[in-house]
Amino acid sequence: MSPIKTLTLVDDDDVFVFLTKKAIEQTKLVDLIKVFENGLDALNFLKENKNNVDVLPEIILLDLSMPIMNGWQFLEEYTKLNPTIGKKISIYICSSSISPDDVTRAKTISEVSDYIIKPITKDKLIDLIKKL
Amino acid sequence: MEKITDYKYALDESSIVAITDQKGIIKYVNDNFCNISKYTAKELIGQDHRIINSGYHPKEFIKELWTTIANGKVWKGELKNKAKDGTVYWVDTTIVPFLDMDHKPYQYVAIRSDITDRKKSEEELKKTLKEISDYKYALDESAIMAITDQKGIITHVNDNFCKISKYSNKELIGQDHRIINSGHHPKEFIKELWATIANGKVWKGELKNKAKDGSVYWVDTTIVPFLNSIGKPYQYVAIRSDITERKKGEDQIKKSNEKAIEHAHILQLKNLQLVDFCNIVSHNLRAPLINISMLVDYIEQSSDEAEQKEVLAKIKPVVNHLMEVFNELVESIQIKQDIEIKSDQVILKDCLEKILIGFETQIKEYGADIQLNFDKTDIIYFPQQYLESILTNLISNALKYKSPNRKPIITIKTKKEVNNRILLSVTDNGLGIDLVLHKDQIFKIRKTFHKHPDAKGFGLFMTKTQVEAKDGKIWVESEPEKGTTFFIEFKNQNI
Repeated sequence: MSPIKTLTLVDDDDVFVFLTKKAIEQTKLVDLIKVFENGLDALNFLKENKNNVDVLPEIILLDLSMPIMNGWQFLEEYTKLNPTIGKKISIYICSSSISPDDVTRAKTISEVSDYIIKPITKDKLIDLIKKL
Repeated sequence: MEKITDYKYALDESSIVAITDQKGIIKYVNDNFCNISKYTAKELIGQDHRIINSGYHPKEFIKELWTTIANGKVWKGELKNKAKDGTVYWVDTTIVPFLDMDHKPYQYVAIRSDITDRKKSEEELKKTLKEISDYKYALDESAIMAITDQKGIITHVNDNFCKISKYSNKELIGQDHRIINSGHHPKEFIKELWATIANGKVWKGELKNKAKDGSVYWVDTTIVPFLNSIGKPYQYVAIRSDITERKKGEDQIKKSNEKAIEHAHILQLKNLQLVDFCNIVSHNLRAPLINISMLVDYIEQSSDEAEQKEVLAKIKPVVNHLMEVFNELVESIQIKQDIEIKSDQVILKDCLEKILIGFETQIKEYGADIQLNFDKTDIIYFPQQYLESILTNLISNALKYKSPNRKPIITIKTKKEVNNRILLSVTDNGLGIDLVLHKDQIFKIRKTFHKHPDAKGFGLFMTKTQVEAKDGKIWVESEPEKGTTFFIEFKNQNI
């Protein structure tokens, strides 16, 4: 059995999702990779399954720039939802933005474990899964 | 004989009486004389009358008195005498010489009445009058003064008034005070001034007046109404000081303040645009670059030829995307740089007719109703090319994000605003945008708010850039499921 059951990607970038999925699969550390292409879809899923510990992810890799609901808006809603979720979820912002504003802003949100600047390497992925 | 005694009694009771011989030696004084001079009769009888001389009157005056009575004539006048204790008193005096057979005076009867109180108040009045004239002098020297009657007709002006108004005294006296009215102050202001002073109250304020040569000057003004016995003003005294220089300074400060605020505003906007631009570069350009680099890495590391091919095919769309974003950016920068672009006189109706032709198929397909309302103003001064692009984008959005539940109605309206501005609005009854969620994102590049295959998130970004190129303003009001209105404010319209 793999160390973690579910990892969720929240990102609208097809190429990034495609490559990251492949990289994670190669690590053989994750059973299931779930993908949502914007914050709202991810949030709705979490809301619907907040007591369903089995399907909730251990890790979320969250993009910032997305349509409909972006990463920041997702985090704002997630912060409200968090106390009712029956599982500890580690959220990593995974963005192409190198803007210091974004990095500083991420540090002020306690729900965010770390800010990863894209591209994300296989080693980094292994590292954060094993750290769990 | 009895009658004479009665007269003497009456005189003694009412007046201060003294009798001297022809040399001035006192022979008789009555009680009143003793009371006022504070001497006893004993101390006075046999004394020279000069005993009560106060030394106040000049020698000539005394000499004239003596000459008169020595010539047998009655002397009347006011005398200041000195009592025993050194205090002085004033008496209204009549001296009657009694003549002998040769018509020479053998004695003088002096009849006096005490006028000390009256004299005192007269002296006080004199002092007050002097003080007043001193005040007037001081005012005349220092201030700009004018007096008008209750109707505002000038009755007095001082030199300072003439100097500043450039009129002569002659030209002003008898004129209505409005002769120096500059027309600067609103009617209500002048009305309030007159209401104040007509009610007998002092008015203070700053007035802009006009001199004879048409130049204007500012005066700090106090108008004091002078009231008659029934409390109604019979004249107004206006005391002014020249504050033209101060006003000029104030004006300049105000102007430079306004300029500074405007500059700060522009700077703030530019700064915001710069931050936006940084974000665009950081997000929108870097993302596809990373994709390419990751794809290339993957191909390099993979030994599976089929997989390599699969991944290789993914590079082309990313490059196209990168190119697209890059071109959009360049286009927006060109608009920002082209600040010298000239405004055209755009006739909205013609401009829209042209644009709507491009949407003909869509309008027919959706059964859309386009309503134009340009009653207020049909002309906008703006670069034609930008305005066409702005309207095209907004109409395109209104059609693209129509509600599936109803036929699209799009209303385009204009409205005149203050400060030479025109407000254009484009209203639809479409899907609407959740502004609580997206308020900061609406006009940013590559932001979309609905799942739509053609949504690129470039139209509104470009629209805002074009609006702001000519200092315009764009904002949005929207409610999900009800519709959206975009407002654009155009500055510097020749209304």
